[in-house]
Amino acid sequence: MYNEEFDKYYNENMIQGGTTCCPGCGGPLFWKLALKVFGPNTIVYGDGPCAMCALRSIKVPYYGIHFSFVADGATGISAALRAKGREDVTLISSAGDGATSDISLGKISAAAERNENFLQICIDNEAYMNTGIQKSGLTPYGAWTTTTPTGKESNKKDVPMIIAAHKVPYVATASVAYPQDLARKLEKAKSIKGFKFLHTVIPCPTGWRFDPAKAVEVTRLGVDTWVNPLYEIEEGVLKVNRKTEAKPVQEYLKAQGRFRRLTEDQLAYIQSEVDKKRDDLLGNDGKQIIH
Amino acid sequence: MSQIVRSFAPKVDQEKCIACGMCQLYCPESTVKLTDEKKVIFDYRYCKGCGVCANECPVGAIKMVKEGEQ
Amino acid sequence: MSFTRMMEGNEAAAWGAKLARAEVVPAYPITPQTELISTIATLIADGTMKTEYIKVEGEHTAMAAAVGASAGGARVFTASSSQGIAFMDEPLWIPPGRRLPIVMCMVNRSMAPLGGLRPDHNDSMHQRDKGWVLLYCENSQEVLDTILQAYKIAENPEIYLPVAVCYDGYFVSATATPTTVPDQAKVDEWLPPYKHEWYDLMPDSYKMPPPKSFIQQRMGLAEAHEKSKKVIKDVDTDYKKIFGRGYGGLIEEYNCDGAEAVLVTMDSMTGTARDVIDEMRAEGKKIGLIKLKCFRPFPREEFQKIAPKYKAIGVVDRNNSFGSAGGGIVAMELSRALYELPDKPLITNFHVGLSGTDVTMNQIRYMADETLEAAKTGIVKHVIDWVEAHDLGEVM
Repeated sequence: MYNEEFDKYYNENMIQGGTTCCPGCGGPLFWKLALKVFGPNTIVYGDGPCAMCALRSIKVPYYGIHFSFVADGATGISAALRAKGREDVTLISSAGDGATSDISLGKISAAAERNENFLQICIDNEAYMNTGIQKSGLTPYGAWTTTTPTGKESNKKDVPMIIAAHKVPYVATASVAYPQDLARKLEKAKSIKGFKFLHTVIPCPTGWRFDPAKAVEVTRLGVDTWVNPLYEIEEGVLKVNRKTEAKPVQEYLKAQGRFRRLTEDQLAYIQSEVDKKRDDLLGNDGKQIIH
Repeated sequence: MSQIVRSFAPKVDQEKCIACGMCQLYCPESTVKLTDEKKVIFDYRYCKGCGVCANECPVGAIKMVKEGEQ
Repeated sequence: MSFTRMMEGNEAAAWGAKLARAEVVPAYPITPQTELISTIATLIADGTMKTEYIKVEGEHTAMAAAVGASAGGARVFTASSSQGIAFMDEPLWIPPGRRLPIVMCMVNRSMAPLGGLRPDHNDSMHQRDKGWVLLYCENSQEVLDTILQAYKIAENPEIYLPVAVCYDGYFVSATATPTTVPDQAKVDEWLPPYKHEWYDLMPDSYKMPPPKSFIQQRMGLAEAHEKSKKVIKDVDTDYKKIFGRGYGGLIEEYNCDGAEAVLVTMDSMTGTARDVIDEMRAEGKKIGLIKLKCFRPFPREEFQKIAPKYKAIGVVDRNNSFGSAGGGIVAMELSRALYELPDKPLITNFHVGLSGTDVTMNQIRYMADETLEAAKTGIVKHVIDWVEAHDLGEVM
């Protein structure tokens, strides 16, 4: 009955409804919100995270190579845009967490060092979900995955800080649960020339083990418990965006089946790590942290 | 065109709805829309029945019902 | 303005890329390619070359960036050797699979651990299955000319294949010989700007190739290789007409009139072989030389046509294929090419110059003599003859 209206809506949104992503996946939600900011004069270069299922549905030009080439293809496309006098085109480079923190970390580091002119986005669902939930460098401590069935023993890499250390113009964390903050950050990134990095933890009901209906709610809890804090680093100056009181991490962790086996000690450890990070961020808020 | 298989589908009570737009904002698949006439509509061709819209509605105007009963 | 001066192979290659108006060069240094990219950097810095040289952090990235740039509409050039070519092995599948007309130089160097910095041909020949066109060059002039021809071949809409211009490290890359650099305006007239007919990433004119099954794409790629044989020859003929220099395209027959046996050589050793063959001819020996320029696509039809003239063909393999059906890579290709002929010449096969050792005149003479003897006796003594294992006296 409303087919025509929705078809028009999908074209306006620049993303087709009904991606092949799992129900409740944060990937298509992110791209729906993001493309509104980027607009039609955009090229997206992306690799193969789970959320790439969403990229197959976008209605702006998309080019991909496999995930061992994060940022590389975008580097080439960026040079081609300059050669063709088309620097008006917004270039977005997208990668999952496995690509960003593991197999292509060096590529992103090098692109940051060269100050390549594009926005590099990490769509972080906290494991190699596409291949059936295996641990990555961005899987949080204690999380169940098929390769860490008793819970991951190592910590999650702090990729935004790693990239910030390259002295790039802009690094930010964002969340689909706070769409206005996300849109503002994407808008800012779009206006800056040089290398920008955006890290966003998106919900994965399949891999994190929770009811898809709670996707946005769980993501919101991740921010409100300060497990995934929202901040920006612009020209090396830190700005903490959400400075609310921290809810206990227990609320966030209990909502997901992948943390079901955490012991009291592990919970306490996670809480203390989150507290330390929170104190660190708030203590440095407004300061030049990258020199 | 491939078929979307759903166990549950969203159904809105237009009386309860306050037209805040949260359902449209948070639907991952863009299959919920608040029309210009402030009506909430669903694209059942592509809706996966994930339930985010129902969960995010601040007044509980959207309920997930068994597929076929929407 | 055209000019001529002494130039090393690497410098000539840089000038080739300059004349071709390469727009994007993503490259990473590796001996013996380094002077190629540092010359490009110099030519850009002094305003001679209008190119963006992306100083990538590794060869894996270099080829991926090349793919992005080529799909994005820019004419791309890059170069590597040995370990670097191996490091870019994963992305090297992409340009032929996606029909992106990238041109690169493979400055041949032997592979670790059984090699050092000097050349043999395993690094480039290892890429023979992917769909790259592989062309080999004997000297600096041929490198420059072949790069220009390579773009013409690659960007032909019937072809759309990436091309690797291969030449020996040190013996070509760092050996200076007189090289003529043609006039830029003349090259511009001969080589128009790059515009891929299948790809456009610009949002206002977005175009991607129509979806095809993998089998259709593979067969299309194979068909392009078959078609490219004629294109390679035609481009060379045309180039010779305009610029005065040609190399035969696929193969060159040198001093073969009335020969009973021929040697088949590739790359730098061909220069040495020409002198040895001339000497032996003067002594009355009926030996000729075939220079194999195009290794991929393998010139099956050319060899089938000329092979019946000879009683024996001596194939010089500056490569190994351990555990092979018999001998070196070129010998196996040639054997297959000639298999159906009712009247086949014998094939003698030699390994020489492996791990970058010099190929001497004595060694070439030895291989020619062995092949002449096989032609006379009808007996091939070895499946593969490791020439370096014999003591053939002093270097020259």
